[in-house]
Amino acid sequence: MTDSKVTPASVAVRVERLSFRYPGGPDVLTDISFTIAPGEIIGLVGPSGAGKSTLLQHLNGLLPSKLSDTSTNVISIDGVPVSQPTISEVRRRVGFLFQDPDDQLFCPTVFEDVAFGPLNLGLTNDDARQRVCDSLASVGLAGYEPRSTLRLSLGERKRVCLAGVFACQPSVLALDEPFSSLDPRARRTLIGILKQFSGSQIIATHDLDVVVDLCHRVLLLDGGQLRAAGPTADILGNAALMERHGLEVPWRLRR
Amino acid sequence: MHIQDGVLSPVVCAATGAISLGAVGYSVHRLKQSVGDRTIPLTGMMAALVFAGQMVNFPIGAPVSGHLLGGVLAATVVGPWAGCVAMTLVLFVQWALFSDGGLFALGANVLHMAVIGSWGGHAVRLFVQRFIGDSRKGIVVGSVVAAWASVMAAAALFCLEFRLSWPPSEIDFSKVFTLMVSFHSLIGLGEALITGVAISFVLNQRPELISGSRRLSRGSSVETITRTLVAGLVIALTIAAFLSPFASNDADGLEAVLAMLNIDLNFTGSVPGLLEDYDKVPVPFAAWQSIAVSFAGIGGTLAVFVLAWLLGKALPAAPPSLSEAAGE
Amino acid sequence: MCHRWPPFAKLFAAIAMILAATCVPITHGPLVGIVACVIFFAHTLARIPLAYVGRRLLFFWPTLFLMAISLPLSQAGQKGWLLFVTILVRGTLSFSTALWLVNVMPFDQLLATLRRLRVPDVLLAILSLMYRFLFVLWDELDRMRIARSARLFRKPSLWETWRSAAHLVGRLLIRALDRADRIHGAMLSRGWDGRSRWIEQLREDRP
Repeated sequence: MTDSKVTPASVAVRVERLSFRYPGGPDVLTDISFTIAPGEIIGLVGPSGAGKSTLLQHLNGLLPSKLSDTSTNVISIDGVPVSQPTISEVRRRVGFLFQDPDDQLFCPTVFEDVAFGPLNLGLTNDDARQRVCDSLASVGLAGYEPRSTLRLSLGERKRVCLAGVFACQPSVLALDEPFSSLDPRARRTLIGILKQFSGSQIIATHDLDVVVDLCHRVLLLDGGQLRAAGPTADILGNAALMERHGLEVPWRLRR
Repeated sequence: MHIQDGVLSPVVCAATGAISLGAVGYSVHRLKQSVGDRTIPLTGMMAALVFAGQMVNFPIGAPVSGHLLGGVLAATVVGPWAGCVAMTLVLFVQWALFSDGGLFALGANVLHMAVIGSWGGHAVRLFVQRFIGDSRKGIVVGSVVAAWASVMAAAALFCLEFRLSWPPSEIDFSKVFTLMVSFHSLIGLGEALITGVAISFVLNQRPELISGSRRLSRGSSVETITRTLVAGLVIALTIAAFLSPFASNDADGLEAVLAMLNIDLNFTGSVPGLLEDYDKVPVPFAAWQSIAVSFAGIGGTLAVFVLAWLLGKALPAAPPSLSEAAGE
Repeated sequence: MCHRWPPFAKLFAAIAMILAATCVPITHGPLVGIVACVIFFAHTLARIPLAYVGRRLLFFWPTLFLMAISLPLSQAGQKGWLLFVTILVRGTLSFSTALWLVNVMPFDQLLATLRRLRVPDVLLAILSLMYRFLFVLWDELDRMRIARSARLFRKPSLWETWRSAAHLVGRLLIRALDRADRIHGAMLSRGWDGRSRWIEQLREDRP
């Protein structure tokens, strides 16, 4: 991979001084910088409206809606800057799991939906079929191919979405509220699947117990600004800091 | 509104099918070249919305209820081409899932609800907006008038198709027309109200969602001419719908009005039934007809314009800030 | 057993039956009878319960009746009634045929057939998206309706009912358009570039 020579291989995601506002609105994100190492799992926490989803959507170029043609190097993924010419490369590397699985499952059958990404990557039909098979197996849904996307439970839908993301073989996963409204068993299953993924992950969530369980580091976002960053126990265990940003110390870190 | 198989003759079905095929084909063509890759999810959702929106019932009287048709709504939000495609797919899925409307009559249904609804509705709305302006008031008033006109035009067209489907010598179609037109002026009133309230609701909450259709109003001169023609056709059909009941009572009156408006409907040649003398027919409808006429003609028009005026007035002057809409 | 026919056979059988039903002159009683028998036979082959067909017909007849009754009501003599019966018979037969097709042909099979008939990709892409999200929107509509009636403590006036129903449509519209944006984002995230290759050859190639 030629790109790895450009930037140190120890950085999977680099964000430098990112600011963003919607046209005519106030700032949603202000001056955010952080890096994610390969294989690292990052928890993105903060109250509702802090800008978590907006930040995630910048990672694969869904925002800003008009990307500049020149690479400004604000965000880079595996050393590839997020810009108009590189956008398809970036989207191949960043797998995005949306909060509402219905937004992401837009094909009538599971097979078609999981095959959507591989086919867009230009894989042959045989290879695409193999990818579908493998990624469904990796989320524990082998044999679900002919099922209709309408008749799946919420947990199953999330997992099919994840299979669709895995089928593109990304090196970074961006997950927006992956655990919301899941029952405990579905939540467990999903955590197990995420633990087996070898690439980097950035998980925006309110479920701080999962963050303690899963994440190496935590970014705390509030009011569009990065308020704190550090090892999970240090941030989530800091009662004063958590209180200040409308969060609670999770049970497992309380003494 | 859905015409079933067996109501229209095969020849009429074939003819309307051919016209619709051309119109929808052209819409798909324009859709392909018009906008970027956002068109497909947008049109798909619009079609799903119209389908679901038709499930919302509006009580009229005890057992009767109306529902949205949606052609004008779709055209106002996603433009006439995508609107026409969305409506066509709605009609197709209604047939394929619920066998609503016939297969052979699909052409006629598409012509009435997708082509007249979206193309015609769009053209009429822009025609009205030319007088009121491209403001939000203009959009609401325009879509109210367009919604009503599109239903009336569809009714008139249905009458024409019905008339061409059965041997003219055996049937007195004036009564059929009266029935259809007065019935549809009620449906059209409902359509106008729902479309107007829904659009002004969206304009209040999220104006940027509809502003897209305003950009479409600036087109080439060919586009403008075509649009004027379509608007003219729909308005002509609407007027024809009004006047058809009058034909039975006062043939000269119709001709006079036509001459006065300087509109050549081409109906006089193809539909002699419109202008025939109907005295000889025994009528259970005689008294009813005059009520229907006055309602469809005068009451309907008045109601639509009052409605358009009220809805236009209800809009606040200042648009809400975009920041609320943006959110996270 | 019709369920396992090739999709094309089902589609063309249905078209042929509807064509026959709408073209046979009503005065030729035996011919109409034959068409009716064929359609009835098709229903028995597909094991479609008669009660179901009957129930659907009960809801179907009134609309057809309204359209057809305008003919005899405005006529003197038998001609109008003849046409009335013609419309009723033809409508009923073709409606039953459509019911048969709906029951033996699942929607995704119909999509695949349309794809083979070279219906434009754009249209099919929109159609499958629409079909997918139809049910999502229905659920949303149901929830909104329940939420609305939960807050309704008295009988609303007609104007209020209309206004709130229109607002329901407006709110659903806003949600649908927002969702369209999110779906667009999800499609882009998985490498979509506006060409619907995702619709091509999938079902046919599947083992």
